[in-house]
Amino acid sequence: MDGSAALREALTHPESILQRTGEELGQLLAAAREAGMLGTLWHLAQIHDIDETIPEALARHLRGGFIRSEHNTEALRWELETLQNTLLNKLPAPIALKGSAYLLRQLPNAPGRISQDIDLMYPSSQVEAAEELLQFEGWTTTHHDDYDQRYYREWMHELPPLQHKVRGTTIDLHHNILPRTFKVRINPQRLWEHSLPAPLPWRYRLLCDEHMVLHCVCHLFSETDWARSIRDLYDIKVLIEHFQQTEGDGFIDRLIHEAEALGLSWILERALTLAASALHLALPERAWQPLKPHQPSAITRPLERSIYLHGINTHATDSPARDTFAQAALFVRGHYLKMPLPLLVKHLTHKALTKTPD
Amino acid sequence: MTLDDIPAEQLEVHLHRGDLVIQTGPFRARIRCRIPRVKADLKLMYGHFPCDISPSFADFDISLSKAPYLRRWYKPQVLFFADRQCIFKPLPLSQAFPMLEWGLNWCIANQTTHHLILHAASLERHGRSLIMPAPPGSGKSTLCAALSCRGWRLLSDETTLLELDAAKISGPARPISLKNESVQVIQEFSKDAVLTPPVHDTIKGSVAHMRPSRDSAQSAGVTASPGLVIFPRFQKGAPLQITPTPRSAVFAGLVRNAFNFTALGRTAFHRIADVVSQSEGYDIIYSDLDEVIAQIEELAHGW
Repeated sequence: MDGSAALREALTHPESILQRTGEELGQLLAAAREAGMLGTLWHLAQIHDIDETIPEALARHLRGGFIRSEHNTEALRWELETLQNTLLNKLPAPIALKGSAYLLRQLPNAPGRISQDIDLMYPSSQVEAAEELLQFEGWTTTHHDDYDQRYYREWMHELPPLQHKVRGTTIDLHHNILPRTFKVRINPQRLWEHSLPAPLPWRYRLLCDEHMVLHCVCHLFSETDWARSIRDLYDIKVLIEHFQQTEGDGFIDRLIHEAEALGLSWILERALTLAASALHLALPERAWQPLKPHQPSAITRPLERSIYLHGINTHATDSPARDTFAQAALFVRGHYLKMPLPLLVKHLTHKALTKTPD
Repeated sequence: MTLDDIPAEQLEVHLHRGDLVIQTGPFRARIRCRIPRVKADLKLMYGHFPCDISPSFADFDISLSKAPYLRRWYKPQVLFFADRQCIFKPLPLSQAFPMLEWGLNWCIANQTTHHLILHAASLERHGRSLIMPAPPGSGKSTLCAALSCRGWRLLSDETTLLELDAAKISGPARPISLKNESVQVIQEFSKDAVLTPPVHDTIKGSVAHMRPSRDSAQSAGVTASPGLVIFPRFQKGAPLQITPTPRSAVFAGLVRNAFNFTALGRTAFHRIADVVSQSEGYDIIYSDLDEVIAQIEELAHGW
């Protein structure tokens, strides 16, 4: 079994780690390290009570990864606390997305997880005001090239990342969850209407459960770079299972309903199928029925499904050639979805002709 | 089994297949390589280290290969892969062994989370450690090589490891990297020193590696308690100068040289504080190796 498969198994059945040979444990380590999931595996080992039985050679890496994630969480919480007391409080509370949201809600995928940056969403009428306020607090823009600025401001769903000049932390200010130029356009109004305040004393809002899952789905399936995609898929699986457990099977119906309303059913269909086959996400039989019309066409279906499956592999794999092909295909697909073809050609021509500094 | 126990022709087969795992202290590295010169240097430098040729666990998965296509013939180059991903820009083929060493340092600094890693040389004597954090060019590797020639057990010349749950110090005891004049200095200092043939024109100048003693290699990973923290500085012709370093400065000096201090947060803070409270710190300016070693042994007298 290669490292990627061992990682998928470990994420669904942590006890499977105990069945691995020494060599496989090494490959599992490489895969988990690449996916940034060492801390997550340690958390799983702890709640499944196998943290004392996992071979020490691997356990120490997982433990180290978990300590690192604990510190990351602490730093993230501190930044969020600091941010809500800055000039940003001149504006209505933003929606915290991704890692910050999982932390504020204490969702089961938060322990062990490492967040690279802070994602906040404002209505598009306020997002530049938020940027300006943050500049007074020591955050500066990162893309100084005029073209890159335009790329973000005109076409994307977020502003160029802001970086704190002392701490180096980055904030992505969003006004939507998919690029303006993406194949489907999402009405952010609906996201705001369903959003909820975060538990006190936090001054943030959170997407409703269905939208939180859909954002994660969008994030993965609009990506051009599928490195570390296994983590996004794991987030999707854990969130759905958690919401199903706490809210009952009605959750999945509401999820499908919301996907329909936002025009995301076709992406949700792919995400659920992938999570079911790669990470054993269990859904009630009736959930698949309304998604059927959104399946890829019967001719391309096997190829498309196999591309996603290979796309989530790390470099610890027994099928490097197929993975490379799949990831290249996903790269092209991601770009194709991200921008209409004429704009994409223009964008790629510009990127090819301008020299990027090393 | 040590690397020396594997006959040369078999070693080649294992390196090709990628089932050779070398154990350097707490780290096991799987190495895959088809470059003959690397095999020779590997055998010379790692002969005393434990290794495995049956499929087994490895912390690092490393391979070195020649750059493909035209580069096979035109100014051949070498590429370094960790976890099957290309990490650095290619280097000239002649620098393959130094690249392997630098690559292993990169793996320790970037792929381990279960130790606090200090950019420092360290050695052990009677169960206590001497840590020498210093920027490149301060002569720490030379001093480290010289001390190891005088019977100190090498812990590391670059990556000193601190356990996360106690102030215990260890190192992978891998070959010591010597640059430029240091190569000759060490050759003259000890005729028993075994060095790789120097590689010229690298980014660090001329580089040769020195083989760790049999004891250092086989005891690699055995931890030592804190003892001395010395900030050495080589200054040509200068008289030996030793000044006690205030504890706060020792603490700051260790933090500055810790690769993963920020990532490990409070754990890192407490472990460094432990080391500082159990050590004596000195700033040393030296020009003569015999003189400075005599002085260091004086400081370590009660051990």
